[in-house]
Amino acid sequence: MTVRFNIYRYNPEVDNEPYMQDYELEEIEPGIMLLAALLKLKEQDASLSFRRSCGEGVCGSDSMNINGVNGLACITPLSELKQPVEIRPLPGMPVIRDLIVDMEPFYQQYRAVKPYLIVNDPMPEVELRQTPAQRKKLDGLYECILCGCCTTACPSFWWNPDKFLGPAALLQASRFIEDSRDQALDERLENLEGPFKLFRCHTIMNCVQVCPKGLNPTRAIGNIKKKMVKKSL
Amino acid sequence: MSLYILEGLKPWVVQRVSAVYIALFLFYSLYCGLNVEVVSYIHWRGWLFQPFNSIAFGIFVVAVLFHAWIGMRDVILDYVHDIMLRLFFLALVMGVLVGSGLWVIRILLFSMVE
Repeated sequence: MTVRFNIYRYNPEVDNEPYMQDYELEEIEPGIMLLAALLKLKEQDASLSFRRSCGEGVCGSDSMNINGVNGLACITPLSELKQPVEIRPLPGMPVIRDLIVDMEPFYQQYRAVKPYLIVNDPMPEVELRQTPAQRKKLDGLYECILCGCCTTACPSFWWNPDKFLGPAALLQASRFIEDSRDQALDERLENLEGPFKLFRCHTIMNCVQVCPKGLNPTRAIGNIKKKMVKKSL
Repeated sequence: MSLYILEGLKPWVVQRVSAVYIALFLFYSLYCGLNVEVVSYIHWRGWLFQPFNSIAFGIFVVAVLFHAWIGMRDVILDYVHDIMLRLFFLALVMGVLVGSGLWVIRILLFSMVE
C-alpha cells in the first residue's frame, strides 16, 4: 500500500513563508495510525517536525489538522484518510515550526477559568466526599485532555483568541461549576460575564465534531448559560 | 454606559425571548391576514388600532429592534477588532435602529390622525 501526503512545512529560521511538501510512503502495513506514518516520514526527512508523546490518545500532544479536520494523529487510522493526506498545524495558532504550534494562547484561556477546586471552608480531615449522583455530573467534563482540537476549530476563537475563552477552557469552567465540592460558583459565573469570554460562542459546534474524546463543549457552554440565567432570576 | 450595550447574559436572553415573540407575532398576524376578505390599508389600520393588536405590534417593533441590535452587535464584535472602527459601526447600527424605531412611530401617528 502506497500513501501520498501533502504536509505543511515552515521553519522560520530558514523559510520566508510556509509551503506544502509532498511525501510518499510505500509498503505501509494496513491498520497503522497516522502518527506511525509520520514517524516513518521523519525517518525519510529528519527535519519534519511534530509533537507526540503517548501515542494512544491520552496526552493530546499530536493534535493537528488532518484533511481539514482537527484530530489526534495517534488515533486516526491511515486507511480512513483520503489521499493525498493533507496535514497542517492546528488552525489559528502561531506556528513554531512545521506542525508544532505555540499553545500559549490556549493555555492562557485555560488558566483564566481557574481550573482547580476552590474551597473556602477549612479542609476536612478526610477527603471531600461526593455522592454518586454528584460525581456523575462530572462525566463528560473531566475527560478533556487539553489537546486543543476543539478550541482551534472554533471560528469564534480564531476571531477573538485573546478574549473568547474557547470551548476547552469553557468545558473546564463547567467541570468546576458542576463540582459539588467547589465553593466559588458565584465567582466563576461572574468571571464569565461580559460579551467576550463566554458569549462569543454561537453554537457552531465545530468543537463537538472534532473532539477526539467524544466530549460536548457546546452542551457544557449551554449549561453554564442556564446556570447564569438561574442565578440572575 | 458600556460600549457593548447590555453586555453578556442579558443580550443572550433578550435575543432568544425576542426571537420567540417575533415568531409568535408573525404567525398571529399571518393568521389574521389570511382570515380577512379584503386586504386594504383601511382594514390594516382598523386591525392595528384594536387595543390588543396595538400593544402586540408595539412589543413586536421593540423586539425586532433589540433583536437586530444584538445580532449586528455580535457580528461587529466578532469581525471588527479596531476599537474606533468598532465604535463607529456600533454607533452606525444604533443610529439606523433608533431611526427605524422613530420612523415606525411616525407611520403610526400619521395613520392615527388620518
